[in-house]
Amino acid sequence: MSKGLDNLKHIVVLMMENRSFDHMLGALKVQDPRIDGISPDLSNPDSTGASVKAQPLAEFQGQLDPDPDHHFPGVDLQIFGGDSSAGRVPNMQGFVKSYFSQRHDVNHSQKIMYYFTPDKVPVLTTLATEFAVFNRWFSSIPGPTICNRAFAHYGTSFGKVGMDLFYINEPFKSIYDRLILANPKRTSKLYYYDQASSTQEIVNLLQHQPELFGTYQQFLSDCKKGQLPDYSFVEPNYSDHDGDNGAEIASDQHPDHHVQAGELFIATIYNAIKDNPDLWKSTVLLVVYDEHGGIYDHVVPPACAKDGFVASANDTGTGRAFEFDRLGIRVPAILISPWIPKGTVVSGRTFEHASIPATVTKHFLGDYDQRSPREKAADTFLDLITLDTMRTDCPDFGV
Amino acid sequence: MVLIPVPKPPKSAINPDRPVSKLLRNQMEHLQKAEFRLPVKQQTNTYINAIKTEGEAADYIRQVTQAIHGAHGVEPKGVAPGPVAVTPRRKSRGSDIAAVAEERPTRKRKTARTSKAKAKKKTRTKRTG
Repeated sequence: MSKGLDNLKHIVVLMMENRSFDHMLGALKVQDPRIDGISPDLSNPDSTGASVKAQPLAEFQGQLDPDPDHHFPGVDLQIFGGDSSAGRVPNMQGFVKSYFSQRHDVNHSQKIMYYFTPDKVPVLTTLATEFAVFNRWFSSIPGPTICNRAFAHYGTSFGKVGMDLFYINEPFKSIYDRLILANPKRTSKLYYYDQASSTQEIVNLLQHQPELFGTYQQFLSDCKKGQLPDYSFVEPNYSDHDGDNGAEIASDQHPDHHVQAGELFIATIYNAIKDNPDLWKSTVLLVVYDEHGGIYDHVVPPACAKDGFVASANDTGTGRAFEFDRLGIRVPAILISPWIPKGTVVSGRTFEHASIPATVTKHFLGDYDQRSPREKAADTFLDLITLDTMRTDCPDFGV
Repeated sequence: MVLIPVPKPPKSAINPDRPVSKLLRNQMEHLQKAEFRLPVKQQTNTYINAIKTEGEAADYIRQVTQAIHGAHGVEPKGVAPGPVAVTPRRKSRGSDIAAVAEERPTRKRKTARTSKAKAKKKTRTKRTG
C-alpha cells in the first residue's frame, strides 16, 4: 500500500450533469496523445448523408437548445446509427441524426459534434492533466440522469432505464446505508447545493434519511473545520433561482446552463479541500459526469456484466428488452489527490458509476456481499493513489 | 504552485424564467410523492403542472425540502450562499405559496406562474433529464 493510500480518510465524489468526454476533454489529445480524445477523422453523417466532423466550436451556453435527447431510444440511435437489425454493431454514427430529429434543422444538428478547446474549460482540463484522467469511464446506462445516478448510490438502478421513481426495500442498500450500519459505524453525507436545488436522490434518502443531507455551505464549513465525513457525495446547483445572497446560477453544466458556472463550482470544491492541509493530504476527490447528455463521443460503450434485471421492450422504447449488459456513453472522470502522479492517464481499464460504491465499500467496509452483480464486477480506482511522497506542485484556482 | 484563473459567467447567463427542464420536472414529481406522505399541514398544496420556470420550480423544491427536513426535525446547516451571485435578488414567491398551504390544508389546484413569467414565456423546447 502506498503512503498516499495509507493516509486516505475521505472520499469525495462530485457528479456533474450531461456532458460527454470528447465534448469536454477530447481536445486534450493534441497535447497528450495518450488521452483518447478527438482526432481529425472523427465524423457523423447528417440527415443529408454529408459527413460532419467534430469541431472545436463548443460554446458555454445557447448552443445546445433544445436539450439533446439522452433517453434510452435516443441514445440507442446515437450508438447504433439507426440500425435496428438483429446483428447490429455499435458505431457511434447516430448523434447528428438524433439531434436533427428534435429541430429538423441540418445546420443546427451539426452542433452536437462540437467540443471545447482546453482554454475554454481551464478547470476541468487542468485537473485532467495534473492528476488522473480516465480514458474509459462510462455512464452506467445508455439513458438519462436518474437511472445513472442510481448506480452511483446503489450500484444498480434496480432495472430502471429512465427517470422513474424507485423505492426502498430493494435488495441492495445504498452506499450511505452500508456505511452508517457498519460496525464500527462510518460517516457519510450527501451535500446538495441549497434547499431550492435540493437533491436528485429524493425518494429513497431525502424522504427517509434527511439527516444524511447537508448543503454546499456546510460542505465548505466541514472542509474548513476538518469535519468531512468518510464519504461525501456533492451535487451541483440544478437551477437558476433566488438565494439569500442574490440570484444563484445553475452550476450543473446541464445544457443549456452555463458551462463556466460549473467550472467555477468544480474549482470551489477543489479549493475547499486543498485549503485545509490536513484534509488535502487525506482526501481523494472524484469529478465525474452522470451521463453524456446526447453529446457526441467516439468511443463505443462496451458490453458489461449483466445486472440481474431486465428492462422490458416497452420500458426501453426501442422494441427490444435491455439486460443491462452494455454500458452507457463515455463521460469525463478525473481522480484528484496530491498522492497521484501528475499526468496520469488511466487506460486499458473500464469504469462506470458502479465503480463508486464498489470503491467506497472496498476501502471503508472491505468484503460486502449484498451488492448488485454490476457493482461486484466494477473496477475500483484507489490503486491510482501510488505516490509515497505528497506532491507540492498541485495547482490552485483563483475563484 | 500554479494559480489558474477561473473566469466567471456573465450576468446575462442567469435566467430563472428559463422553461423548466425535464430533469427539474422529474425532481418536482419525486418531491411531490414525498410531500404527500407528510402531515397535511406540512404539505404545500402546489399544483406542480402549473410550474413553468426554473425559478418557480426552485421555490417549490425549496418548500418541500424544508418541509421534509422539518418533519424529521433535522435541518442541514446553511441554506443558501454559493460561489456565484450574479444578479440582484428577485422577489421570492415561496412565502406566498407556503402561506396558501398553511391556510388551506385540503389539496387545491394552484397556479404557480406569475404574470411576469407568462409575459416572458419563451418558445424554446423543453430540456430533458
